[in-house]
Amino acid sequence: MADYLWLIPCLPLLASIVIAFAGPRWLRGQSHWPCLLAVAAACFLSMLVAGEIISQEQGDATLKTYYSWVQSGKLDVGMTLRADALSAIMLVTVTFVGTLIAIYSAGYMHGDPGYPRFFACVALFIFCMTGLVMADNFVLLYAGWEGVGVCSYLLIGFWFQRPSAAAAARKAFLVNRIGDFGFMLGILLLWSQFGFRLDYQSVFDRADTLAGTSTLTAICLLLFCGAVGKSAQFPLHVWLADAMEGPSPVSALIHAATMVTAGVYMVARCMPLYQLAPDALLAVAGIGAFTAMLAALIALTQTDLKRVLAYSTMSQLGYMFLALGSAAHPTITYAAVLAAIFHLFTHAFFKALLFLAAGSVMHAMGDVIDMRRFSGLRRLLPTTHWTFLMGALALSGFPLWSGFWSKDEILGVALEASKKGVFPTYYMIFFMAGVITAALTAFYTFRAYFLTFWGEERIPPEAGEHAHESPPIMTVPLVILAVLAAGIGLVAQPLTGWFGDLLAKTPGLHEHPHHANIIVMLGSSLFAIAGIALAYWMYVKEPKTADELADSVPGLYDASRNKFYLDEAYYNGIVRPAHATSVVCRIFDLYILDGLIDLLAHGARWLGQLFRPIQNGLVQFYALAMVLGLGVFLISLVWALGG
Amino acid sequence: MAWCVMPLEHFLLLLLLALPTIAAVVVALLGPNRGALIRWFSLAASLATLAIALFFAIRVVQTERQYDEQGIRTAANAPTFQPLFVPGSPGIRAGTDQPDPFGTSWNLVELGPGAIQFYIGLDGLNIWLVVLTAVLMLPSVLVSWTHISERVHEFYAWLLALQTTMMGIFLAFDIILFYVFFELSLVPLFFLIGIWGGPQRRYAARKFFIYTFLGSMITLLGIIGLVLQCYYHSGQAGEPGILTFSIPRLVELVHTRLITSPAAKEIQFWVFMALMVGFAVKVPLVPFHTWLPLAHVEAPTAGSVDLAGVLLKVGAYGFLRLCIPLAPDVSLALGLPLVTTLAAIGIVYGALCAYSQDDVKKLIAYSSVSHLGMCMLGLFTLNVVGISGGIMYMINHGLSTAALFLLIGMIYERYHTRNLSDYSGMAAKMPVFASFLVFISMASAGLPGLNGFVGELLVLAGIFQHRFATNGSFLLPIVAASGILLGAWYLLTMLRRLLFGPIKEPDLEVGGHGLTGDMNFREISLIAPIAALCLLLGVYPQPVLRTMEPDVLTVANIAERARDRAGVQREEQPVSQLDTTFLGKQKE
Repeated sequence: MADYLWLIPCLPLLASIVIAFAGPRWLRGQSHWPCLLAVAAACFLSMLVAGEIISQEQGDATLKTYYSWVQSGKLDVGMTLRADALSAIMLVTVTFVGTLIAIYSAGYMHGDPGYPRFFACVALFIFCMTGLVMADNFVLLYAGWEGVGVCSYLLIGFWFQRPSAAAAARKAFLVNRIGDFGFMLGILLLWSQFGFRLDYQSVFDRADTLAGTSTLTAICLLLFCGAVGKSAQFPLHVWLADAMEGPSPVSALIHAATMVTAGVYMVARCMPLYQLAPDALLAVAGIGAFTAMLAALIALTQTDLKRVLAYSTMSQLGYMFLALGSAAHPTITYAAVLAAIFHLFTHAFFKALLFLAAGSVMHAMGDVIDMRRFSGLRRLLPTTHWTFLMGALALSGFPLWSGFWSKDEILGVALEASKKGVFPTYYMIFFMAGVITAALTAFYTFRAYFLTFWGEERIPPEAGEHAHESPPIMTVPLVILAVLAAGIGLVAQPLTGWFGDLLAKTPGLHEHPHHANIIVMLGSSLFAIAGIALAYWMYVKEPKTADELADSVPGLYDASRNKFYLDEAYYNGIVRPAHATSVVCRIFDLYILDGLIDLLAHGARWLGQLFRPIQNGLVQFYALAMVLGLGVFLISLVWALGG
Repeated sequence: MAWCVMPLEHFLLLLLLALPTIAAVVVALLGPNRGALIRWFSLAASLATLAIALFFAIRVVQTERQYDEQGIRTAANAPTFQPLFVPGSPGIRAGTDQPDPFGTSWNLVELGPGAIQFYIGLDGLNIWLVVLTAVLMLPSVLVSWTHISERVHEFYAWLLALQTTMMGIFLAFDIILFYVFFELSLVPLFFLIGIWGGPQRRYAARKFFIYTFLGSMITLLGIIGLVLQCYYHSGQAGEPGILTFSIPRLVELVHTRLITSPAAKEIQFWVFMALMVGFAVKVPLVPFHTWLPLAHVEAPTAGSVDLAGVLLKVGAYGFLRLCIPLAPDVSLALGLPLVTTLAAIGIVYGALCAYSQDDVKKLIAYSSVSHLGMCMLGLFTLNVVGISGGIMYMINHGLSTAALFLLIGMIYERYHTRNLSDYSGMAAKMPVFASFLVFISMASAGLPGLNGFVGELLVLAGIFQHRFATNGSFLLPIVAASGILLGAWYLLTMLRRLLFGPIKEPDLEVGGHGLTGDMNFREISLIAPIAALCLLLGVYPQPVLRTMEPDVLTVANIAERARDRAGVQREEQPVSQLDTTFLGKQKE
């Protein structure tokens, strides 16, 4: 396994370089081939890695150091790749979804003038993302972390001539950088506290030395800052909805299935640290639960199909953090990580599916994505409709669909934490929030579904002659993902349990027997079905009720529609003051500081002017001055000698 | 073996200084009418210089610097610099026939018991700055190819002369020689800005000259004071003192003799303050930076490239080579809090000033203030990681900022405006240009995998190590790390305003210059090597870090000893252990 490990990130990198240099001139419309082949090969290799780990008796991490990246004094960052069960699960998810999305994109992006650029960025993204999950030390993790951020920046701003896309790209990068600022501080604090080591094993081995201290809590919270940014959690969630300016396959790949889950992966990876800092875990769970609910409330009233999905992504990521945050008690730790990573896994499939289906709708509707402008598309776009339905059922947690298994595990873990942990009341509140959010999720997902595919058939004029089902190159990936979204729950705990068996092989993660909570399962199914039924009633049966309800609570409705005014608050509270400070600094520097310097220089000139009259060129004056000077000198000499 | 080097290398090292000088004279003599010949000749000269510089880079990387029989760096003796490839070595002590390991046999001015010597050499601290100087000469020549059409011979002569002086600053191991090159470098740049600059060029040139000159006059006072103090206080047991201008020798004297003298602290204080004034202006540290934006805005592109790329490093290099080793106790007690405070203010203040600029060149100039703050912060952590980071930062900032100036120069040559508000959506018009600008901006913003990140990481790590050792507050690390955020803030804003959005081109009529469209072959070939270096240094910085390590250890050792004297917690292992671990590492 160690021999070919480097190929997994490097093949996509090679593809990216080939496309970047050969794409615009020679490959052009064929630019998807290098990307597709490389990602598919990486997917194959990732599956080999996973297979080898499954066949291992005892789960081990395979490490391979290629060279010393940065080594100076006490800092030593190795270019070391790591493959263990957790990495393997991430790798398979990323490359598999990546392959399907690359195929889909070949159809979706067809004819775009930036076609090569798109695939170069996608391949580069896969390189960074695989590097991120295979990194064996925190700095390499950070490198992948920033790398995916840049790819996201480039792809959100793919249609850079739209001012909204350019603004969204910058916003995404900067908001992420706020999180990364904390992340970097966390990494270096950890480095200085754990014997100047950066690789996971050494750090986790030393974790005990700081158990329960505020330093460890600080490290965990700082690292979590990075996750909050990358995984779009409150209060740094504001970039994700705007990121929908990017092409739909990008939304599916980066802003749903893979990149945004990097934060979840990181916290899961650092569980040996978090486990010893229950305060930090409480914050993780709290932010997760709060974001899950906040995003679900916002998603209720959005009219842009992709934004509904974006908010649901935030909400689902919140669920994952809720699960991770419930891990404080040693008997739940394994179940918590399993729940989070399993939800990450299923979410990757069904959310990628939903975004791709939304993209297919956009494709047919001439890039219109406002749900108020089309409806009743289920006959026009039959494959898209069916696959979207599969994804929607999975997202809602409809019984037996994939999301059902993973979401129930999360709720089960949260409930468990409220019984065993240090902060029972808090976790009980989080659990309740999770249950309510489950109902909200089902409702808003099916609201979007019914608004798009049911009712009378309406097509916006922009659609033109495009208003037909997408070509097979796009529908085939949809169908594959739909099958997985429906059926991937098969690997879950009560059925085969394969997923848990694999994850348990992660070094440092100790399997602890746990069982599914039947009551939670039944309860949450009930909530999900109720949410779907309510959506059906409000948007299909009695379509007027929705508007009436909105009119009856205008304050709440507007708050939700306007994302609780957080964008405005940030703009007025942070962006504008920062800008104003900058202007003040500029003016201060130009006029006051530089003015002072010039004043000093003028001082020299004035001093010169003061004495200039003496040099008047009159010989008589000079003679007089000499005589006077001599006189003063003699008098003072006599004075001095006499005294 | 450090001291048994081939004469060929002595010759080549001299050539590194002589080649640009000769080329400058030849170019000046060619007269104004042979533009093409002058350009090609300058290009050839800078290529040859680059080849020599690269030869030395490879040699230094390969040299296993051992601790020979003279044992300069073994624990018992004072740590000091140990230049390689010194022409005129082995050195002879002035007035005697005794060998001198800290000098050369080429005396310039004999002053009784001592002599000002033509003492140049290479070590881990200067080799990469020499290479940087040589590397940046190439794009400076190429970017002026069509841009400069008046008084071509004078322009290239001054440019080549500037290269000589910059090389000289880095190569000099004699403190007076250092100072001479330090001052001489002002002259070519004064003319480059004053003749070929923008509308306010004369004001800018004058301000630049007088401001930095005033600073360095005070530095000269410090240098003379130091040399004389060494002379007076180094006499032991009735012997006369030692008059020397050799930097390694001075460092050694300060550590063996001067540290014990009762007036040591006071002497050091004045030496430090005097040296600092000149270097702080040069770096520039806030609040001594106001000459910089003006000089950058008015300078022609090639001038900005050399100013930002190389000359700003001279200040930081002066701190590293002279201030810290020659005044270690004061550097620790006063320099560390003072300089780090100014540098931290500079990081935030420079970034804030950069953000709201409309003129791109001004934006980049202020970003330099911010970046150099980071660099100084690294140097003044006074530990191995931080100092290495500071030097890496100098190199990285040199590459990426020079590249930014080059790119802005290209767009200026087309549209004759640098105001961001005149542009929009240029990525659609000039995709190659846009790719390079995004790439370099990312390097400058510290994206991992590109060069900027390596320096940033090392500097931040140095600060954290310092904080951990002193159990200090988190304020400094937080302010320093905010550079990560602020850098991205103004650079991405610049990218968005310049490259993205609907296309808006400035009126071509205003300029009506020859160049239009995307970057041409000449422009690509001048920027591509810099971009490649940014990538290389980001992915594999180890050769650079490894070669500078022995000399960084020397400086760190000096600081460790100062910590011992001050009774402060050490930040590395004990001094002797440091040396042995280093020896062990080399043998592996």
